[in-house]
Amino acid sequence: MTVPGWLQIALFAAVVGLITRPLGGYLARVYAGERTLLRPLLGPVELAVYRAGGIKPDAEQTWYRYAVGFLVFHAFGIIALYLLLRLQSVLPLNPQNLPDVSPDLALNTAVSFVTNTSWQSYGGETTLSYESQMAGITVQSFLSAASGMAVAIAFIRGFARRRAAAVGNFWVDLTRGTLYVLLPICIVAALFLVAEGVPQTLAPSAEVTTLEGAPQIIARGPVATQEAIKLLSGDGGGFFNANSSHPFENPTPLTNLLEMVLIFGLGAALTNCFGRMVGSERQGWVLFGVMAILFGLGVGGLYASEASGNPVLATLDAQTTNSQQPIANMEGKEARFGIAASALFADVSTTSSDGAVNAMHDSFLPLSGGILLANMMVDEVIIGAPGSGLFGMLLFCIVAVFLAGLMIGRTPEYVGKKIGSSQVKMTILALIAVPAATLGLTAIACVVEPGLAGLGNAGPHGYSEVLYAYTSAAATNGSAFAGLNANSPFYNLTLALAMFVGRFLVIVPVLAVAGSLAAQPIIPRSNGTLPTDRALFVSFLLGVIVIVGGLTYLPALALGPIIESLQALSGTLY
Amino acid sequence: MFDLIMLALVIGCFALAMAYATLCDHLLAPAGEGMTS
Repeated sequence: MTVPGWLQIALFAAVVGLITRPLGGYLARVYAGERTLLRPLLGPVELAVYRAGGIKPDAEQTWYRYAVGFLVFHAFGIIALYLLLRLQSVLPLNPQNLPDVSPDLALNTAVSFVTNTSWQSYGGETTLSYESQMAGITVQSFLSAASGMAVAIAFIRGFARRRAAAVGNFWVDLTRGTLYVLLPICIVAALFLVAEGVPQTLAPSAEVTTLEGAPQIIARGPVATQEAIKLLSGDGGGFFNANSSHPFENPTPLTNLLEMVLIFGLGAALTNCFGRMVGSERQGWVLFGVMAILFGLGVGGLYASEASGNPVLATLDAQTTNSQQPIANMEGKEARFGIAASALFADVSTTSSDGAVNAMHDSFLPLSGGILLANMMVDEVIIGAPGSGLFGMLLFCIVAVFLAGLMIGRTPEYVGKKIGSSQVKMTILALIAVPAATLGLTAIACVVEPGLAGLGNAGPHGYSEVLYAYTSAAATNGSAFAGLNANSPFYNLTLALAMFVGRFLVIVPVLAVAGSLAAQPIIPRSNGTLPTDRALFVSFLLGVIVIVGGLTYLPALALGPIIESLQALSGTLY
Repeated sequence: MFDLIMLALVIGCFALAMAYATLCDHLLAPAGEGMTS
C-alpha cells in the first residue's frame, strides 16, 4: 500500500462527502414539487408528459396502487426491451449487421436492465446494435433508476407523513426523477466524458491496419451517453464487454474518479434527502455514517489484500531478490489504474449495486473475492443503487429498533413511527427474498448438469463463480466474476429469475411498509424513545447488518472464498 | 414459439408479483392497515 493510493481513496471519499448535502437538498425539493433552478426550463416538459400520459399530478396513490403502477410499468418495459432485442436485425442503426439476440439471452437482458441489475451474459460491442444500446439499454437504465428512487421517496413519505392514506404518485415521482435529476446530470457527465476522449458516434466500427500490416476492427459507437447513465443509475452495464476497464469507456484517471462519484452520488445524497424529509438531517447522517464505515472496512480490506499479493508468489526467490516489497496482485487489472484505484472501484461497484468494473473481479485474490461477495450480500445497503440502497438500509433500521425494543422492553419506534408486527413481517419478507433466491439457485446450479457445464474453474473457485453470479443477480448488482460461461439457457433463465425476485419481491413489501407507516400518527419524542441519531445506534445498526448478513451467508462464503484463501496459504491455487 | 414462451414467463411472473402485493395487503389488513380489503 502506498500514500498516493490512500490519497486517491481519501479524495474520492471527500468528493462524495461534499456533494451529499447539496444534492440531498436538491432531491428533497424536486420530489416535493418545489421550485428548483431547472423548473423554469423543464416544468413545461413535465406538464407535457403528464398531459400525454393522462396523469393527474395531484392525485396521490395508496401503497397498493403505487406498487401496481410500478409493476405494470416494468412489465411493459421488459416486453418492449425483449422485442427490441429480438428484432434488432431489421431495425435501423445496426451498421455491423448484428443478428437478433437469442430468446433466452433477450429475456435475461431485458429483465436485467429493467430491474436495474445490468447483468450481461453478452459482450455489448459484438451483440447489440446501436439502437438496442440507445433505445433499449440506455432508456431502461434511466427508467429503472428513476423508479428505484421513486420507491425510496415513497418509503420516506411513509415515515414523514402522519395519518395519510397515500405515499405519493408513482408516475409523478418517476417523471420528476428522470427529468430533474437523471437527465441534467447525465448531459453534463456525457459532455465531460466526450471531452476526456470517450467516443460518441453513430459511425460503424473503424477498420484499421496495424503496424504489422494485420487488419483490426476497433469497436465504437454512442458510448458517452450510455456511460453517463450506466454509472449514475447504479446500473453498470457496459457498452463494451470489458466495461470500465476499456479505454473508450474510462480513458483517464479523471474519468475514473468521475465514474466512481457518479456511482455513489445519488445513493449518498438520498440519505440526506431522508433526513430532510423526516425533519432531522442528523438521522440521514447516521445512515450515511453506517454506510461510510462499512465502505471503509471493505475498501481497506480490498486494498490491503490486493497490495499484499499472491501468497504463493511471495514464496518465490525471484520476488525477494529484486525488492523487499511484495509483488501486488496485478492480474486482471489495468496498469494505468494500479492497485488502489482498482480496489477502490471494485468496492464502489459492489457496495453500490452498480456492477461496473475497471478490473476483473475473478482475478482478485480469494479474500478480496470474499469481500466483494460480502458487499453484495448485505442487501446493497452500503450506498446501494439510487433508491434501493436507502430503502434497504431503512429495512435494517426497522429490524434494529425492533431488536432493541425486545432487548430493553420499550415499544420500537423509528423517527416517530411505531414499529409493529405488521411492519416487521413485511420487512422480513423483503429481507428474506434476496438470500432465498441467491442460495437456493446457487445450490441448484451446483448439482445439475447445465449449471456445472458453465464452470470455468474447479474446486472452491468454481463454486465462488456460481455463488457470485446469483448473488450479483439477486442483489441487482450485475457485476460478473468472469470465468463462468453464463450465456446458456439455464443460466440466462435462472439468473433472470434471481433478478426478478431481487427487485420486485423486495419492493412490494417495502411499499407495504411505507403504506402502513404513513397511516400512523407521528409519536412525539419522549424519555422512553430509543435515540436513533446517536453513535450507540450506529454501532447497533452496524451489528445488525453484519450479523444478519453474516449468519445468512457465512456457510456459503466458507465453502468458496474462505476455504480458497486458506488453501492458497498452503500453496494450492485454483 | 420460444418468444411466446418467454413472453408468457414474463406475464406469469408479473401476475405472481401482483398476487404477492395483494397477499401483503391482506397481511396488513388485521392491523387495519390494508388498502384493498
